[in-house]
Amino acid sequence: MISKKNARLAALAAVLIFVSTTAVLLARQLNLGPTRPAPDFRTFGPETAAVQIYEYTDFACPACRHAALALEDMLKIYGGGIRLTFKHYPLGSIHPWSADAAAYADCAGEQGKFREYGALLFEGQENWGQAKEKPAVFETFARKLNLDWGKMQACAAAPATRRRVTLDAAEGEMKGVNATPTFFINGKRAVGGGQLLERAKSFDLLLKKAH
Amino acid sequence: MSEKTDPKEIFGLLARLVVAGVFIYSGIVKALAPAEEFAYAIESYKVLAAGPALWAAYAVPWIELYAGLLLAAGIFTRLSGLFTAAMLAFFELLLAQAWLRGLPVTSCGCFGSANSNSLAHEFMQNLVLLGLLWLALRRGRGLSADALVREP
Repeated sequence: MISKKNARLAALAAVLIFVSTTAVLLARQLNLGPTRPAPDFRTFGPETAAVQIYEYTDFACPACRHAALALEDMLKIYGGGIRLTFKHYPLGSIHPWSADAAAYADCAGEQGKFREYGALLFEGQENWGQAKEKPAVFETFARKLNLDWGKMQACAAAPATRRRVTLDAAEGEMKGVNATPTFFINGKRAVGGGQLLERAKSFDLLLKKAH
Repeated sequence: MSEKTDPKEIFGLLARLVVAGVFIYSGIVKALAPAEEFAYAIESYKVLAAGPALWAAYAVPWIELYAGLLLAAGIFTRLSGLFTAAMLAFFELLLAQAWLRGLPVTSCGCFGSANSNSLAHEFMQNLVLLGLLWLALRRGRGLSADALVREP
């Protein structure tokens, strides 16, 4: 039979386990977990920028295309005040080629043209987003930018590239991302271009505070 | 602890808290990160396939966290200490086989993906932790729930 002392200790252990589990799960929900660093080619702006934006995006998502244009403008307007980091969040269930597009964009990035290749993917998303077979435009875009297509194919098939995309998506899921585009602006969540623009209203204040 | 505390008891308590702290930190860091990340590190030891590695990655951080907390609080100190020692011994086996086979383990997965030392370094570090745990099990019962909770 369990002694009363052991029963008390077991109850104490249960409380400790319950409290610690709740605290860790809460920390996950509140986005307190570490963010995996993204490759340099997916990061724009100085490390010390007052406004740090992480964008979870899908190249086949129309809302992400619009948000990308808004972000381009913001980077121009605020210059070094913003640091933008792209994170892949391919919605495989509705966009069958998104994960491939993300991998190709990273491989274009390794050849120095992530942004340009990404812009072409967004621009032409109607042509490949819902394609039945593997879209030929991935190659067309690469050739248009004078990228080495052979290298890109090998890179996109490499486990390390696929893993990077998968881990970005897994990280997004842990942070409760379930729609694209989702932004984390200085740690605060914004979903969709509307919320991004709403948050942008506070950028001047943040930049002033930083100076 | 008695009024005249034996220095060995203090060392034992410190040893227990150090090992517990390492386990709590390691558990929290991994529990807050995507399990896929840790799973990839587990896969690199070439002991488990991708599927089971992912299940292990879901479970291990929580087990480390709970073991560390129980050890820190001194709840069932002997049992939680022995369990922690068994975990460390298991980690040593994993590290040793990877080291001997010359596997290209780029991230040991010990403290998430952010920090990773060489396999040899981690192996030696775990040996030190095992030593501290031995000390904790012999002399580290001070300031523990085990000592505070009494039979009614």
